[in-house]
Amino acid sequence: MIQFGILAQIAFRNLFSNFLNVVIGGIVFVGTLLFVVGSSMLNSMDSAMSKSIIGSVSGHIQVYSSKSKDELALFGHFNEPDISEIPDFSIIKPALMEIENIKSVIPMGVNGAQVSYGNTLDVVLEKLRKAENKKRRGGHSIELKDQIESYKNHVRQIVSIIQKDFANLSVLSEARSEDSESVIALRKANSADFWKSFDNDPLGHLEFLENKIAFLIPDSDFYSIGYVGTDLDSFKKDFDRMEIVDGQMVPQGQRGLLLSKFVYEHQFKMKSAQRMDDIKEAIENRHSKIAKDTDLKFLIKQNKMQTREIIFQLDPISTNKLIKLLQTLLKSQETELASLLSGFFDVNDENFLERYRFFYSDIAPLVDLYRIRPGDMLTIKAFTKTGYIQSVNIKVYGTFQFKGLEKSGLAGGLSLMDLVSFRDLYGYLTPEKLLETKQLKKATGAKIIDRDKAEEELFGDSGSSIVSTTKQVNIDEKKELGVIQTIDTSINRIYSQSEIDKGVVLNAAIILKDPSKIKETMAKINEVSSKNHLDLKVVNWQKAAGFIGQFVGVAKVILYLVVFIIFIVALVIINNAVMMATLQRTKEIGTMRALGAQRSFVLSMILIETVILGLTFGLFGTIAGSFIVKLLGHYGFPAMNDFLYFFFSGPRLFPTLGAGSVFGAMAIIIIVTVISALYPALVAARVSPLTAMQAEE
Amino acid sequence: MKNMKKYNMIKITAIYCLMQVALYAEPLSKSKMVEVLRGIDVRIRSSGDYKSLVYIEQREKGKADQVREALVYRRDADEKMMILFTKPKTESGKGYLRIDKNLWFYDPTVGKWERRTERERIGGTDSRRQDFDQSNLAGEYEPEFEGEEKLGKYNVWVLKLTAKPGVDVAYPVVKFWVDKETGNDLKRQDFALSGKLMRTEYTPKWSKLYSESKKADLWYRQEIRIYDEIDKGNSTLVIIKSVDLQALPENIFTKAWLESKSR
Repeated sequence: MIQFGILAQIAFRNLFSNFLNVVIGGIVFVGTLLFVVGSSMLNSMDSAMSKSIIGSVSGHIQVYSSKSKDELALFGHFNEPDISEIPDFSIIKPALMEIENIKSVIPMGVNGAQVSYGNTLDVVLEKLRKAENKKRRGGHSIELKDQIESYKNHVRQIVSIIQKDFANLSVLSEARSEDSESVIALRKANSADFWKSFDNDPLGHLEFLENKIAFLIPDSDFYSIGYVGTDLDSFKKDFDRMEIVDGQMVPQGQRGLLLSKFVYEHQFKMKSAQRMDDIKEAIENRHSKIAKDTDLKFLIKQNKMQTREIIFQLDPISTNKLIKLLQTLLKSQETELASLLSGFFDVNDENFLERYRFFYSDIAPLVDLYRIRPGDMLTIKAFTKTGYIQSVNIKVYGTFQFKGLEKSGLAGGLSLMDLVSFRDLYGYLTPEKLLETKQLKKATGAKIIDRDKAEEELFGDSGSSIVSTTKQVNIDEKKELGVIQTIDTSINRIYSQSEIDKGVVLNAAIILKDPSKIKETMAKINEVSSKNHLDLKVVNWQKAAGFIGQFVGVAKVILYLVVFIIFIVALVIINNAVMMATLQRTKEIGTMRALGAQRSFVLSMILIETVILGLTFGLFGTIAGSFIVKLLGHYGFPAMNDFLYFFFSGPRLFPTLGAGSVFGAMAIIIIVTVISALYPALVAARVSPLTAMQAEE
Repeated sequence: MKNMKKYNMIKITAIYCLMQVALYAEPLSKSKMVEVLRGIDVRIRSSGDYKSLVYIEQREKGKADQVREALVYRRDADEKMMILFTKPKTESGKGYLRIDKNLWFYDPTVGKWERRTERERIGGTDSRRQDFDQSNLAGEYEPEFEGEEKLGKYNVWVLKLTAKPGVDVAYPVVKFWVDKETGNDLKRQDFALSGKLMRTEYTPKWSKLYSESKKADLWYRQEIRIYDEIDKGNSTLVIIKSVDLQALPENIFTKAWLESKSR
């Protein structure tokens, strides 16, 4: 102990005695600092991301069919994963709920669908057609009559705008001659006679507008939406980060859709409004200046050019109202709404906020800011598992988001749908459907011919004649058509829990009572699955998330690799530096040996000196690293993009200093310094007093 | 030796000339090619109404086969066509309605009409509207002669068809194999604008029946086999099972008529 004290004193005395020691210390300082800050960041990120994944859709554990060709990837995969169905959720749920640590099992199925809208005129004509059909079925209310008149006025307004556009185009282009079919059709559709006779034959007039006029507008919309089909009540109860933003929760047991707020704002909102929002965010959050920012200038240019989006939505009364409002705001005598709107959207740094406020206070109430509103019916269409196209009408009850992940496109990429509608769109191939296909094929008896052999088999010597003569037959339409089946998509029907549970799902989320026992629970699920022949594959949240879940693991490997390389370099440098320092001290060591110092004393002296050097500078590095972590923990590290927002589980990451980071850093320093000092220490221990004394000054 | 060389030269020249003659034997003039295309259009065109029962089978790699039956209605004089799916039960009542430049899709499940394009995959299969409708090859495409060849045991002309400017067709470039004897096309390959081969279609069976209104034979492609060249292994088979040329209801080509079928 006394000897260790002496050696420690010598070590501290020599700490700054040599420039080489400062170099060694510098390397240790940087490596330790990097390790402490990096590992603290990644550990905090890991913990934050687990909250994002577990809290948004995956739960602690996911189960899916072991017959699946691909692995489950809830947050996307490079290709759409091929996941086999779990044929009946009502069988697996009770079996899994018997496991003690399982709090709940939530059925799921991730799928994608399309929502398409015709162009603006198609949309208004569709509304008019529905209202006319309602009238034909006996609707005589004043509201319906007013509604029909309003739609008719709106259509007339759009037709007159198209006619003006065509007139302008015909000036520019000879192709649009006065005689063209479309110009004649437009003249007819905009004539007083046409609208006077509309009520005599509304459907005939609608067909004319739909087929001769509507296709002239090219602004149809098409959206893709990803969704999780689930038991919405269980989902809301168990994923407590979920909150309704607009509208309401789907009533218990009913069909319905909750759109992700992120998707709602980014896909269903009017484009010019989105651009105004984007400009505002850039000015307020990124302190951008319109005058200097080319991206913002581009957004303004788009808004100035694409005013039709607003104009087509307005009926004559709203058009006049907006013209007056804009004339007053812009102090202009212009009477064309397109020019006024273009002038309105020509914003600069001085007037932007005023125009932004005007847009939402005066323009927005006159138009539909969103393609769909909570309470509306949405027609969504998906390619079923069997390849057919299936559509369902589904009521949009509202929008939702996950607390803390409001701006994350990853967490907000999926909307939520009731399980019954999900199953309709998924189109599970039931034994009845299979049998029907088989019967149809058998009745026709068509021969299958491979692509490679097609020409030989169809046109070769063995092929049958290419021409035949037939006689016409009477095709009985009623017999062929039979009774048309439609899906019961009644929005008021309440499905019982057993109806919701009974049927196909793709995966299920499992919420645990004690998340720390995840490994034991997974083993138990595997046991239950094989015992009951459930054919389930069990994965933790990290694996279920797909490549996103592996991100932090990969980042950790990269960090450790960088730190490892730094310390390997440090090891070599320290080894050389200590070796040089030892050689410089040959006389000193020889004298110590002559005075009776044992080899073990010299060995210990070099080792302790190096370790103390490493620990001292390592401690400085750890303190500096801890200080940085503390600072970041206080102010937060900003999420600069959507991915980081998800990984940070919010707009900023607040890292915390873990004991593992500090002790890990110290352990690495001790190992590195001991290894690097071992050889020089052995060399020093072998120095004999005689050799040392014979050495030249 | 010299004579031998001379003889060989003459022989080579003669073979070369014969090959040239064989290769460019009777190249079709532009007007003749248009005539060939118009011949197909006229043969397929129906003067009166047309109704057929069609079977469509779609095969896709790794998926169960899809089978459909549909009724196809045509009134060629008015440029109108309708496909009404009848089987399987889940598809029954769905339909396409073509009026002029519009191709509408109707789904009775949701009671909604959707405007579709010429590129629409009919019922999600590899077939297109043109596979069921009347033909307007001479009006839509500009032909170019590519040569003659054998397709199995049949002698065929090979034409390259390029869509005329401003005409909306499913594929802008088509390679077309026409049987010299019957004038019917037996094979076509559809290309994207980039030159990528999209699908190959064979018509191994043509059928004809006498049309009173036309006072001539009405031809139709009785069997069409379509092979997807992008997703290799996917194919579609179209078979026209029967044809009925009786007059159709006057208002049949309207949205209201198709909607009424599912009420």
